[in-house]
Amino acid sequence: MIDDVLAFAALPLAAAIIFTGIHTWFGLQVLRRNVVFADLALAQVSALGATVAVVTEHAPSTAAGYAYTLLFAAGGALLLTGSRSLVQSVRQEAFIGVLYVVATAATILVVDRSPQGAEHVKKMLVGGILSVSTDELIRFTLLYAAIGALHWAFRRHLLAAANEAANERTAVWDLVFYLSFGLVVTSSVSVAGVLLVFCFLIVPALVGSLFSSSISAALIIGWVAGALASACGIFGSFLLDAPTGAVTVLAFAAVLVIAGGVRAFVMTPIEQRSQNRRRALRTASAVICAGCVLSGAWAVIAPSGDHPLLAAIETVSGIGPEQFLTARERVDFTEAADIERRHRTEVDRLYELERRSRWQGEALSADEVRRLASMQQTLTEMGRGERFVVAYLRTRARSIERWYIGLPLAALGLLGFAAMAWSPTRRTGSSCAGRI
Amino acid sequence: MITRPAKAFVAFAATAVLLFAGRPAPAEIIRVVATTTDLASLARTVAGELASVDVMIPPGADPEAFEPRPSDLAKLKDARIVIRVGLGYDHWLDKLLSLHADKTINRGGVGYVDASIGIPLQEVKGRSLDVTGNDSHAHGLANPHYWLDPANAEIMTGAIVEAICAIALQSSATITQNRKRFLAQLGTSIADWESMLNPHRGAKLIAYHNTWPYFARRFRLDILDAIEIKEGVPPSPARLARLASTIREQKVRVILQEPFAPDDASQLLARRTGAALIRLAPSVGSIPEAADYLSLFSYNVRTLADALSAGPN
Repeated sequence: MIDDVLAFAALPLAAAIIFTGIHTWFGLQVLRRNVVFADLALAQVSALGATVAVVTEHAPSTAAGYAYTLLFAAGGALLLTGSRSLVQSVRQEAFIGVLYVVATAATILVVDRSPQGAEHVKKMLVGGILSVSTDELIRFTLLYAAIGALHWAFRRHLLAAANEAANERTAVWDLVFYLSFGLVVTSSVSVAGVLLVFCFLIVPALVGSLFSSSISAALIIGWVAGALASACGIFGSFLLDAPTGAVTVLAFAAVLVIAGGVRAFVMTPIEQRSQNRRRALRTASAVICAGCVLSGAWAVIAPSGDHPLLAAIETVSGIGPEQFLTARERVDFTEAADIERRHRTEVDRLYELERRSRWQGEALSADEVRRLASMQQTLTEMGRGERFVVAYLRTRARSIERWYIGLPLAALGLLGFAAMAWSPTRRTGSSCAGRI
Repeated sequence: MITRPAKAFVAFAATAVLLFAGRPAPAEIIRVVATTTDLASLARTVAGELASVDVMIPPGADPEAFEPRPSDLAKLKDARIVIRVGLGYDHWLDKLLSLHADKTINRGGVGYVDASIGIPLQEVKGRSLDVTGNDSHAHGLANPHYWLDPANAEIMTGAIVEAICAIALQSSATITQNRKRFLAQLGTSIADWESMLNPHRGAKLIAYHNTWPYFARRFRLDILDAIEIKEGVPPSPARLARLASTIREQKVRVILQEPFAPDDASQLLARRTGAALIRLAPSVGSIPEAADYLSLFSYNVRTLADALSAGPN
């Protein structure tokens, strides 16, 4: 099992680090150019190319499929280059947005012609970094090394073009930038999906830019942050038993939040630091107080609704809804919950019985299978009935509980707000969070 | 006085009457709409030339990701019979039927066929293969892939024949005869298929999607687990690692894959464990070899038997 975990993690982690390496560099330029969503637009245009390839019966992994994708990405690169000089009076981001939605709509129309198109579109969005192969990894390494070398050789021109106003000279370097960007995005999206590639591109560059305005320092910081987020995402998805792509995106977000915290509370001048702390404390206090007021008021207004904060308080304090029921109701509440659990166990047992009979012993007759199905259905319905009883009694309990917990909770939140309003004049720095 | 054109018309009419006298009036072609290619194939088999059968989910598409288009509503326009899988599998049909004025093809009408009625259902309440409390694959009331037990075709064709006979009573003898012939052929084929897979009774398999419980019951196979436990959500790496352990420990030799589903995870497991990855057709038309209901099973049984024979037992 451990061998499998390491084997399943090694290649995706290597791919994520390679992606971080090239995308951080592009991300820094994207931030300088102020075209954050160019990545999404280019990815969508290349996804349109891949979709056209699928509809014309070329698998995306074949040379023809790749050629379609690249051709469309190059078209997207040309449009983005042209947009910088054409659209002088409005922000280029608006044009990028239009390009993105048009490419998405066109993809949907093309997909409509292919029975398996929807599956393809879903794959382009979420990718499948977990199943990256050694061959793909070698191909990415060579391609990104070549593009990286090209950008290193012409870095001054590329960075100058990113910072200057649009002119004839910048147009050439814009085209070089967008063409190579299209090539990178096309390759990465085919494995990692649009969502994850956006993270590889923007988050490490953003983290680097938080700490340094020098591009080389920002690049190194971005690489470290990206590699850390990738490792946390991939190993986190093992621990949480959740899809890798989604967990990695959240890991990148967590790294960004932590980096923001370090920047605001550690790596700033002392006077700015204490001001930031006060602001953060006040914001957190305001959020907690608002949560208390809204949750308490909601419990008073609609005791039968969903009450996540109330449920959390019940769990932590051990004061469950049954505490607010009469002795008879409490017995019914516990009994209904127990019966529902027993029914569920019995449904599981019958399921296992039917499953084993598929290949073990004498085959069950059609009527025996029907009987099992009927019993499962009956038990499920009975369980639903018991759940209804539990829900009804919980609502009854909550309609009493709201006066004992809901109302004080709302009052506590309001008191917190009052304390916050009072504290700045006294410069005490106290907060309702502390009081709660 | 009778004019020449009038004489010619009378002569033409008399000839026509003589030619067609004594022949029964040509039976009206009944328009049938089936939600899936499997039901359409069965309807074509029993109705023969008495019906024109349209299908809503195109061959090769993922039926569980299907979204109807305006043209699907148009298909229902002149339909006399609608055949559906039921059990929540083609839930979108309810919306289309509610927009349709003809009550005979709505629930309770003579032209409404829910082919799941009378089927011995498995995995009632949409239980997943994962029995560890992870009640995941919401398949409606029960697992809906019941057409993958060929013996269930008797019940499905029975419902179709009943609906056609209620609409075109004069064709009932032909249709009943068609069904009888089909069931005789199916009975022989089932015996052949069972004998092909009999040496592999109890063979342990992993499937990408929980499509095969009815197929497994008919051919006595043990499908241990499914890779995708939630529709459209890729499996986690921890799940893949567990599946890899299961494949090795239980000596699973074959992974079943639907042609329209993403195969990255299946390929990864196959590479890591050495299990063979085979593509079976979950529906008629999902691969070219599965052109109709009988060839669907011929292809699936042959492909699976070949894969299981390739490795040591």
